[in-house]
Amino acid sequence: MKQIFVLMLVFQVAGGAMAWAQTKASDKEWAAIVEAAKKEGKVVVAGSPDPVMRNEVIPKFTARFGIPVEFIAGRSSQIVSRVQTERASGIHSIDIYLAGPDTSANELYKDKMIDPLKPVLALPEVVDGSKWKPGKLWFADPQEQFIVRAFSSVASLLFINTDHVKPDEMRHFKDLLNPKWRGKISAEDPTTTGAGANLAARFLSQIGEEFIKALYIDQKVVRTRDRRQMSDWLARGTQPICLNCREDDVRPLVKEGFKILEIFELNGIPGTINGSPWMLNLANRAPHPKAAQVFANWILTKEGLETYAKGYGSATLRTDVDESYLNPGNLPKKGVKYFDDTDWQWIVGGRHENREKAWKILKAAK
Amino acid sequence: MKSSAETILNLPSRFRLRPIRIAEISVLIFLTIAMGLPLLYLLSGSFNLAAPGKAAVYGLDNWVRAFTDAGTVSALWMSFLLSVVRLIPAMILSVVFAWLIARTDMPGGKFIESICWVAYFVPDFPLVLAWILLLDPNFGFLNTIAKSLPFIDAALFNPYSFWGIVWVHTSTGGIWFKVMLLVPVFRRLGATLEEAARVAGATTTTMLWRITLPVLAPMILAVSVLSFIRGLQSFNTELLLGTPAGIYVYSTKIYDYLQREPRAYGEATALGSVFLVVLAVLLFFYWRYLSGNKKFTVVTGQGYSTLRVKLGGWRYVALASCLLYVAVMMLLPLAFLVLGSFMRRYGFFSISAPFTFSHWHNLLADPIFLIALKNSLIIAGATAAGGILLYSAIAYLLVSRRARLAPLLESLCWVPHVLPGILLSLSVLWLLLATPLRFFLYGTVWGIAFALILADSPVTTQAFKAGLLQLGGDLEESARVSGAGWAYTYRRILLPLLAPIAAAVGLMNFGSALTSISTPVLLYSHESRPLAILLLEYSFTGELERAAALGLLITLIIGAMMLIGRKLGLQLSGGD
Repeated sequence: MKQIFVLMLVFQVAGGAMAWAQTKASDKEWAAIVEAAKKEGKVVVAGSPDPVMRNEVIPKFTARFGIPVEFIAGRSSQIVSRVQTERASGIHSIDIYLAGPDTSANELYKDKMIDPLKPVLALPEVVDGSKWKPGKLWFADPQEQFIVRAFSSVASLLFINTDHVKPDEMRHFKDLLNPKWRGKISAEDPTTTGAGANLAARFLSQIGEEFIKALYIDQKVVRTRDRRQMSDWLARGTQPICLNCREDDVRPLVKEGFKILEIFELNGIPGTINGSPWMLNLANRAPHPKAAQVFANWILTKEGLETYAKGYGSATLRTDVDESYLNPGNLPKKGVKYFDDTDWQWIVGGRHENREKAWKILKAAK
Repeated sequence: MKSSAETILNLPSRFRLRPIRIAEISVLIFLTIAMGLPLLYLLSGSFNLAAPGKAAVYGLDNWVRAFTDAGTVSALWMSFLLSVVRLIPAMILSVVFAWLIARTDMPGGKFIESICWVAYFVPDFPLVLAWILLLDPNFGFLNTIAKSLPFIDAALFNPYSFWGIVWVHTSTGGIWFKVMLLVPVFRRLGATLEEAARVAGATTTTMLWRITLPVLAPMILAVSVLSFIRGLQSFNTELLLGTPAGIYVYSTKIYDYLQREPRAYGEATALGSVFLVVLAVLLFFYWRYLSGNKKFTVVTGQGYSTLRVKLGGWRYVALASCLLYVAVMMLLPLAFLVLGSFMRRYGFFSISAPFTFSHWHNLLADPIFLIALKNSLIIAGATAAGGILLYSAIAYLLVSRRARLAPLLESLCWVPHVLPGILLSLSVLWLLLATPLRFFLYGTVWGIAFALILADSPVTTQAFKAGLLQLGGDLEESARVSGAGWAYTYRRILLPLLAPIAAAVGLMNFGSALTSISTPVLLYSHESRPLAILLLEYSFTGELERAAALGLLITLIIGAMMLIGRKLGLQLSGGD
């Protein structure tokens, strides 16, 4: 009876974190961490300002642990600029970065702004390898210590409006070069940092220079820097082929009845997986280390990732997350070899080199 | 041996520490720290080749890379062309608008002026999208109507072109800002000179050309310089309309460097330095023009009349022309913007049940909204009040014949105008963090207000300076002869006469503080997030309709502030 009472007390202190109470010892340790985290008062998380984070993930975390989350939302370029200047003045304000692969690898990791995550991940359901599709937690960095990759979805290659482009007309990557589609393809501007340049880098690396010239120059791909503009063009059929539309922008259009098809693969070019929307990083000299630990653990649990993934529409790497909400095309198929757009070597080297080459080719041809 | 007191007493008069000299030195110290240091920080950073956090290595590589990058020169030329082509008709129209509103008996002048104020603060991003809905060659509303006419086969309008960009700019930034700044100084112009001209047989056009414009030249020139540089830095419209047409401007190049990973601040600052050169050249000619024997005084102690020019029957033609311009350039796209905030998807009329209140509901239900609203009102109020107090005093020093450091002070005041927004924000961030200000201001609403006050310095200083140049020295001399001190004279004589300009720039700064994104973007914290950052977040995540609703709400707040300002007697015009 006394044991039960103590256990209940521990659960109460842990803010009802019973879902992770798998062993008695871990319960006590975890309860102590949560208690220390509460005393720190808050956790500061920096990331992209997506509504899922603000409207679903943060309220759920705060409700569970009673720890408020300060969410610093913005473009990663702005957040990193700010943090670098803060750190130069001895200020360390961020606990957790939910950052894209480029920012994680080429800035946070490279500039030694993060601490190893591995030692602070303590929840059994997080460290248990059987809960993860690769058989273990996937650390993206070479030391396998710092950056956790929690998602792996098949990335869409392009979207078509089937009122204007029949699926049969878009089977091979060379179909993009059909003169019929001249001026009918839109893309995020490939001459600046972003998804447009990343795709151009991939085409350059996998298909070659002649293809990107033929596509972006000869086919008169209509460029934009506004993602909403692309999805609007796609829906209206002005540019019924979209190379860089985002799934979360297109989903509402499909709901509205627009005949839009997401294409994941084209013959002649391997399908792609990526780690979007973010990778998990623990700031070094975090002002709220225990709260950061609680958040880092929780966001990797079934509850944390499922909440995020459902709202965002990405496939997680956990084995126990419900994936019925996903477009089946998003799920990597067993036995298929994909090009990994979040592969470390590609992020820190290959993509950068190919992007620079693509910029030179496209700018010279302008 | 003389004592130090004796030494001071025997100093030549130019070295004596008079109150004005103390004020001048204090302002110089403040401006050097607030404007000069951040600029120095950015410039020195542009020569630093080392990665962030590493020991500095200096060299010219960033500059060489920036200026040899393909497209830099053509982008600079395109920015110059766009800026000039927009500036000339916009300045002519603005002067005509301001003259009609302030100097003639055209009916409805205050209404037109109010529309200019509201128009200036309508967020430009959704407004550009509204123009796309109107002008797009494939689905644009106006092109669809045009194509239904029997003699028109192809699209008449194309926003994705050089002239499309010029047109949309005329609507979004266009003449509104210029009219706002010019009307108060046009109103301040006494009618004595015009009456004398009329007695001498001058026509209305001759009076405008030979009397009104020359005496108002300081403000017209200042507004032209401000607009030209602002035009060079223009970015949003070019991004939406220029990129599809392959039109790249200079600001886009700077933006690209700032988006790279890792950030290329060195290259961005090197490119940004071109604005400094342009400013230096323009200021040289500006000062040369003002420092001649010309007189710009229009308010003296010898009687003052503000009788308006009578246009006769033409006044209704003038009103109709103004209304037509406002209707086409603002009300038409604004109607689409208002409509957009109630649409399930902005601009898609063909979907079933296209209208909804949900974006407004979601906006007002957002738990951050009320906190952001409160923050924004505090920031905007502090920015407006702080700007008026600080820059009216600085402008007084600039026009004072006794101030010897005026050119230096004025140059420092211009600095924020030549720094692209995000670089200004970065430099203020550095200033706040590198000084004891961090303990009071960093991450607070007051820190954001401080940054916005700095950002407002060019417009506010120039507006006050132009106003002060209109005041005759005899007003001050009379006060001094009557025994009034400098502070008393400033408070009781100068400030009341400057009230219309103070009210105008105060409201303008209030509005700018509510809508500014680039200045607070690196400075806000969770507790001090303003509405503009919320708007940025909505736009970033593609929630365009909610962003449109928030943009309209901000515009409504500014409109309400304008009405309250009028009620409290802060007449924008200073009354007739």
